[in-house]
Amino acid sequence: METILSIHQLSKRYGRIQAVNQLSMEVIKGQVFGILGPNGSGKTTTLGMVLDLIRPDSGSFTWFGEEPSKESRKRIGAVIETPNFFPYLSARRNLEIVAKIKDFDYSDIDRVLHTTGLHDRRNDKFKTFSFGMKQRLALASALLNKPDILILDEPTNGLDPQGIAQIRRLILQVAREGITIILASHLLDEVQKICTHVAVLSKGNLLFSGAVNEVLAVSDCIELASSDNEILKAAIEEHPAFKSVTESDGILLAVFSEEVRPGTISEYLNQRKITLSHLVERKRTLEQHFLELLKDTQP
Amino acid sequence: MKLLTIELKKILPYKTFWIVIGLYFLFLALGIIMAEYIVNAMVDDVNNRLPIPLPHAVLFNFPDIWQNLTFFASIRFVLIFPAIIVIILITNEFTNKTVRQNIVNGMSRSEFILSKLQVVLMLALVISGILMIVMLILGLVHSDSQSLSMIFTRFSFVIGFFIQMLTYLCYAFFIAFILRNTGLAIALFTLYTIIIEPVIYFFLRAPFMWENKVYTYLPVNAVIRIVEYPSIPALKKLMNFQLQEEVSLLSCSIPMIYAVVMIAIVYLTFNRRDL
Ligand SMILES: Nc1ncnc2c1ncn2[C@@H]1O[C@H](COP(=O)(O)OP(=O)(O)OP(=O)(O)O)[C@@H](O)[C@H]1O
Ligand SMILES: [Mg+2]
Repeated sequence: METILSIHQLSKRYGRIQAVNQLSMEVIKGQVFGILGPNGSGKTTTLGMVLDLIRPDSGSFTWFGEEPSKESRKRIGAVIETPNFFPYLSARRNLEIVAKIKDFDYSDIDRVLHTTGLHDRRNDKFKTFSFGMKQRLALASALLNKPDILILDEPTNGLDPQGIAQIRRLILQVAREGITIILASHLLDEVQKICTHVAVLSKGNLLFSGAVNEVLAVSDCIELASSDNEILKAAIEEHPAFKSVTESDGILLAVFSEEVRPGTISEYLNQRKITLSHLVERKRTLEQHFLELLKDTQP
Repeated sequence: MKLLTIELKKILPYKTFWIVIGLYFLFLALGIIMAEYIVNAMVDDVNNRLPIPLPHAVLFNFPDIWQNLTFFASIRFVLIFPAIIVIILITNEFTNKTVRQNIVNGMSRSEFILSKLQVVLMLALVISGILMIVMLILGLVHSDSQSLSMIFTRFSFVIGFFIQMLTYLCYAFFIAFILRNTGLAIALFTLYTIIIEPVIYFFLRAPFMWENKVYTYLPVNAVIRIVEYPSIPALKKLMNFQLQEEVSLLSCSIPMIYAVVMIAIVYLTFNRRDL
């Protein structure tokens, strides 16, 4: 387990706003690490600090187990917010400057231009590009010479559905090559689709972090009712996948830790001689889940 | 060398750069042509009242050409053009946010400052170099054997001009890093050079104020004073005294102190501020 990025108690305040508050987390080699949080939760500020763009008020971080330096940044490919290039230079020229700063030769430029589908437009000026193409050029520059870690801040922001699908496919492909990825996003769905690990931020605070399938586990709820809810409740609590049960208006809302079909649950209850008067499966959307997670921490 | 290569990659394909450089040399050429015309008109005017007429002024003779051309190349209205180039090149990095990309890609903040200082140094060298070659050619064309023997007599003015260019471009570097906004920086810098400082200068100098020499220490004025007067033999004869013979080390050191302080401030603030 090689630690790529380790953040310790990092804080940044802008006037009255605590943008990032005592944040600690670790990114391990091979992870696709999502930083998930609503707008203004401190994702960009966090990434800005670990990339030396923003000076932290307090706290520290290390890259590849070492004190951060320009040399460690040369091993990182990053796209922060908007793509930043010289408008009057061609795509290729812009990438040459990136390569030069990172001490690479130009041999990998054509490959990343092909990967991002910009090769045909390589000699066109950056300012003539559409937004999606600019975004892809930023990705191309980040992919130059296969970095040890790829950092993407809202990489699909402002893209059309086709562009979004393309970029996601590309990210997954990069991940399969073994490159560690940090992805900041306010889209739960995106994190769920792409990431292996996630840290959830709200107002600069870390709510929780861990493997995606644990943190964002989808639990189905089932509404149940019978003539005697007390007995029903006891029976459900004995179910091997039982997680929680609450009662409101004579209806029990049961949550299970793994997917449980309504059919199997009614069979399970039948065996215990309980006849149901009400049985409805209620899928909770991921968004609901995410919003609830955020709500829990608010005073 | 790596930093300068990167800067050249940014600068050379940039049209605005070439336009402003072109304007600088255009204004310079026009200024010099007009200067000769004006000086000769003055001599003609004086000659009307003199029994023995003065010869027409020749600005392009060795060794006077060194002093004359560097003088015209460093008047406020002309000097401002290279400074505008420096301001544009630096503030562009902030408005395009390419400075962020440079840092993220693995430049240190000090390297970023250093790369811009190298641009300043390069511009000062190239402009002084071009001017020196022009002066050499013009001088050779206009010279007789007597003036050829004095070819390097006032060469110190070329060095002085280089110091002028270097320090004034450092001022531009400073304002660009502090303000980070192209329009604002150019407007303020031009306004200060052409209006604000001359006004301050006027009030400090005016006889109704207390006796002082403060005005000679104003930053831009200190730069201008390195090559303070042209050398025109006809007028010299007329007025019977010499205005400036050489570039003094003291006059060079004042703007250099300003420049060093400004670079230090840029280092301190740029390393602390968010990008
Ligand atoms: N330069 C700044 N000056 C003042 N406040 C700032 C600055 N940058 C960020 N903030 C504030 O810090 C907080 C966190 O901002 P940040 O950009 O990190 O959020 P984010 O999670 O990236 O949001 P988004 O999803 O919108 O990109 C916000 O409340 C924002 O208003
Ligand atoms: Mg953001």
